[in-house]
Amino acid sequence: GLPELREEQQARSLLRQRYLRSLLAMRDAQVRFRMYERVHVEARFGASDIDVLNFQVSDLQTPIGVQKEALLRCPDMISYSLEL
Amino acid sequence: MNEWREKKPQEWRRYVNNEVKVTAHEKQECQGWVFTVDPVSASVVLVNFQDTGRTCVTVVMGHAVEAVEILKEGGPEMEERLSSLFMPTGHHGLTK
Repeated sequence: GLPELREEQQARSLLRQRYLRSLLAMRDAQVRFRMYERVHVEARFGASDIDVLNFQVSDLQTPIGVQKEALLRCPDMISYSLEL
Repeated sequence: MNEWREKKPQEWRRYVNNEVKVTAHEKQECQGWVFTVDPVSASVVLVNFQDTGRTCVTVVMGHAVEAVEILKEGGPEMEERLSSLFMPTGHHGLTK
């Protein structure tokens, strides 16, 4: 019914807004990415696209060297972490 | 498509401000206080307060989540602490 739909929309907007806040707080932070196939990389976070499918990062440190600018695909990640 | 991603926003909402253990791909476990669950990707934002005064944020991608277990209820104090982390001015909306 309508009240349930309203409750769902309220929850959705609160959760999404908080997620976008967490992305804002990541700007210029050093982030560690845990990718599939046990690959770990580290980079400075720049921005995310609107659908949060890609992250733009700088100075990506990979097992085969440093990439000045890169795009990381979110579906390739298991998790990412940073310190505030 | 996993079970976690199928949940409704109201169900994810109930995890916010609680301490959880997330089991991800290949049985990797992460523990922390839930700041939010992105309703689009189902990714879980976990916060850990360290003794050094620093705060560690870990985000487990929704597609990699296998299970989420609530360990402890957060209460109003934790709610305030988590909010102030990303919303230092105390605004609760994106606009003023």
